[in-house]
Amino acid sequence: MSGFLGFALDLAVVILRIVIPILTVVIIALIYSSLRHNKRTERPLIMLWDESDGKAIPVLYWENSIGRSRLSDININDPAVSREHAVLLRRDDGWIVTDADSKTGVFVNGERISGRTHIYLNDKLKIGSCSFVIKRAEEFMGQTRRSWFFSVSGKNGVSQKLLLVLITVFQLLVTCEACLTEKALKTGLIDLQPFVYTVILACLMWGAFLVTSLVFKRVNFEIESLAFLLTSVGVVLSIHQASKQTIVQLIAATGGVVMFQFMIKFLDDPDRVTRYSKWIYIGSLGLLAINLIFGQTKYGAANWIVIGGISVQPSEIVKIGFIMVGAASLDQLQTKKNLFEFLVFSALCVGALALMGDFGTALIFFATFLLISFMRSGDFKTLILAVSSAVFASMIVLRFKPYILDRFDAWRHCFEEPYVWDTGYQQARTLIYCASGGLFGMGIGNGCCTSIAASESDIVIGVVCEEMGLIIAVAMAVAIGALVFYARAITTRSRSTFYSISACCAAGLLVIQLSLNIFGATDILPLTGVTFPFISAGGSSMLSCWALFAFIKAADERTYAIKKAGLFSSEDI
Amino acid sequence: MKKVLTRSLLTWFLALVFFVGLGYFVVRLVTNASYWAQLPMNQHLSSNGLARAGAIYDRNGVVLAESVEGERVYNSDESVRKAVLHTVGDDSTAIATSVQSMYRNDLVGYSFLLGLGLPESFRSTKDITLTIDSQACAAVYNAMAANGYKGAAVVYNYNTGEIICKVSTPTYDPYSPPQIEEGDDTWEGVYLDKVISAAYPPGSTFKLVTAAAALEMINNSADRYLFCEGSSIIGGEYVTCVEPHDQIDMTMAMAYSCNIYFAELAVELGAPTMQSYADRFGFNQSFSMGNIDIKKSFYNVSKADDAGLAWSGVGQYTDMANPLHMAMISSAIANGGSPVMPYLIKDVSSVLNIGSLMAGKSGQSGKEMMKSSTANKLADMMRTTVRDHYGDSTFGEFHAAAKTGTAEVGDGTEDGWVVGFLTDEDCPLAFAVCIENGGFGISSAVPIARTAVEACAPVVRGY
Repeated sequence: MSGFLGFALDLAVVILRIVIPILTVVIIALIYSSLRHNKRTERPLIMLWDESDGKAIPVLYWENSIGRSRLSDININDPAVSREHAVLLRRDDGWIVTDADSKTGVFVNGERISGRTHIYLNDKLKIGSCSFVIKRAEEFMGQTRRSWFFSVSGKNGVSQKLLLVLITVFQLLVTCEACLTEKALKTGLIDLQPFVYTVILACLMWGAFLVTSLVFKRVNFEIESLAFLLTSVGVVLSIHQASKQTIVQLIAATGGVVMFQFMIKFLDDPDRVTRYSKWIYIGSLGLLAINLIFGQTKYGAANWIVIGGISVQPSEIVKIGFIMVGAASLDQLQTKKNLFEFLVFSALCVGALALMGDFGTALIFFATFLLISFMRSGDFKTLILAVSSAVFASMIVLRFKPYILDRFDAWRHCFEEPYVWDTGYQQARTLIYCASGGLFGMGIGNGCCTSIAASESDIVIGVVCEEMGLIIAVAMAVAIGALVFYARAITTRSRSTFYSISACCAAGLLVIQLSLNIFGATDILPLTGVTFPFISAGGSSMLSCWALFAFIKAADERTYAIKKAGLFSSEDI
Repeated sequence: MKKVLTRSLLTWFLALVFFVGLGYFVVRLVTNASYWAQLPMNQHLSSNGLARAGAIYDRNGVVLAESVEGERVYNSDESVRKAVLHTVGDDSTAIATSVQSMYRNDLVGYSFLLGLGLPESFRSTKDITLTIDSQACAAVYNAMAANGYKGAAVVYNYNTGEIICKVSTPTYDPYSPPQIEEGDDTWEGVYLDKVISAAYPPGSTFKLVTAAAALEMINNSADRYLFCEGSSIIGGEYVTCVEPHDQIDMTMAMAYSCNIYFAELAVELGAPTMQSYADRFGFNQSFSMGNIDIKKSFYNVSKADDAGLAWSGVGQYTDMANPLHMAMISSAIANGGSPVMPYLIKDVSSVLNIGSLMAGKSGQSGKEMMKSSTANKLADMMRTTVRDHYGDSTFGEFHAAAKTGTAEVGDGTEDGWVVGFLTDEDCPLAFAVCIENGGFGISSAVPIARTAVEACAPVVRGY
């Protein structure tokens, strides 16, 4: 195409390339700004009024440990109180107290309790030699815990609708860019089909938003927005790779949204998850066993099974169960300190994945296991023991099968002969095309990285950098990485340690996976072949990412806030 | 819940590792991007890497290389292609100092900010115009090839700094790069631009430096006589001349290239003085032309005994000189003490025209090498050498001031040198020629230098 129209289109392309990264950064900043603003002020939920001295102890959290230990949420300095004596929990149906295997017992209205026992307003709770009366919190004006994450200003957060509008604009702009490829500009034949996919994705997003806000009456949509933003990138990049993959991505995203809602519903009651844990163990191990037996090899790892023409990666689904059984509520943490079951389960998962040759996912599971076990026990010794035994085990394996390491020979040498034509092929090309893209990218559909094997999954960072530029790639990575800070900031606001642990571990898992993906593809770490959350093609991966986001969403007490709005005043207890 | 909050700090550790890694990735990418982007594996640059690159012209606008419909096309004359190979480069980056290697990013229009993929209207591939004259280069190449010479020849305008002729042999046609088998030394040094990247023992041409040091440090040194018997023991070693020169002063010693005269001077001046004059003349110093680094010349007598010092004063010992640097010394002598720095890139043009900033600046002066009185005396001696000793006809119609050299390489062969300049006002040309294994400079290098100045003179004269 030539002449004025050609120039105008060229100019449009240049403007798009500059506007899209700016918009991406703005959207991500707004998502986090919204996460920082929308929180309730933290004030005591109920009070424990000490009859003997008239002092009142505020109860700040949904789950509180009571004990002599200074790290207890409710610290009672009394020699008759065990270090970890009892747990005071709040559930939908009111407040519950549990004896955490204390020496002197817990008494409610004079009766020693065993197991979970409901307590009500004005009940007497005797712990050690102290006797408390349960009171409303109104008399006590709280000390709000300060946190760097949450904004202290009273300003309202960003409207969720605005966020969605901006993401829709983003989707339309990237689709325009995907239509105006170099080839299209040269030939003048502009294919508008990408808009079909965009409209479907936008409809899915707005549909999810309407259902969430109107049916489930949830006010916040930031986590979902982030997921949709990332999904949009994945979808638009897949259009010029293989449009069949685009359809898979859209179907998987729909499945992911449903999965997300189901997870929120299922996680509603952490005790329910505990009841199901046996089945989750069995299901997860069963899936891995099936995979080991019927697994098919793709890109060197036998981590696929094909059912009726659809290939599934069971390890992605097992990730969800792994976190579910790993997390636990506070009374379980206090009473059942033994991690034996979970330890065996983790060892089986990691072992199975290593057998499949999927070392990347095995590493993800192992790191997540470390995270979970540390958050449950707080024990560095366990951590060190686990790491050293893993190192020992891998050394033994490598002693008998040293050729496993050959796969990683190219690491740090991907530009050297012969690796550049061999095991370093993908990494070298990824870096070359990352460099070719520069800050603003070469435009969607103009890349060469798409011709490299696994460019839609393991080395997708190369495609993002090449076609959309470094700014967008880094913004996407930072957006996922920053979830760790959000997950930690809401730890004490969660309705149970179950949510705190699962959210932190889900965020941690995503960061580990993202690290392996980006750094593996760019030769900073050995290439292990894991996916970039939401952007890499793959139905199983998409589902598991949505489920992992659901853990983070569930940890935010606002998720369940509207339904239980009444509970915020202590009227109902 | 407080405990869980404390323990969750472990996730911050993860995040820290992640963000540090991400930072490392970005820094590594930004610092290596221009290198990675121009690797031949990059399909955007097609199979030969230069499919969409800008053109390279000589000073008259003659196409030396350009891209036509995805193919890199070179000058139509094979002699020109071979003569400018080391200046222009071939499809690969085998010749590391060539324009197509050093300026590939400019030629293909790459910048990290915008990447490679701007639309047609905004693409900023740059065309580069060089200062060289393709016909002059071809003439010199033909003269060298006719004698089967390997070596380097460079001529530049000592008033403006433009390099007009620059040839390195052996060379090849960029359309048919050699398949070099191991142990095959006919192609030895073929990927090296010897004008830029080689250093040879300077032999007698180094006497210019020794003479300058003596002129400045020893009173009336130019008028002192020495009786040359053809050989003399200095520092316990024989220093010999080709023949006895009898009673000679410095001018005659320069003309006859008397080793004993300058060896004695070097010893008399002492190692520290010799070292400091060599350094002032640019030995052991880094020079560059734009992106292209010039091989350092080498002079170090810190560990030399008297014999070593004596030999160093006549360009042997461990002395090494780069041909372009020797031409710069000629330029300094012609210009009264300070060289005009040579440059190769005359102009860079692009649609957005951002690039013209990086074009060479004409007439840029280098650091002073010697006092102007010293330069004038050296110029007179060099002029006398040509006029009275070689005869002016050795440079045709031109009035040259020059110093030859015959440098022992150490394997029994001798490199022939000539460095100098023309005193004709309408032909301000400085030159350096070094012929490997050429024997006497007067018989190998001087005829090439004559061909070179004859080919370059019309260029500077404008006809």
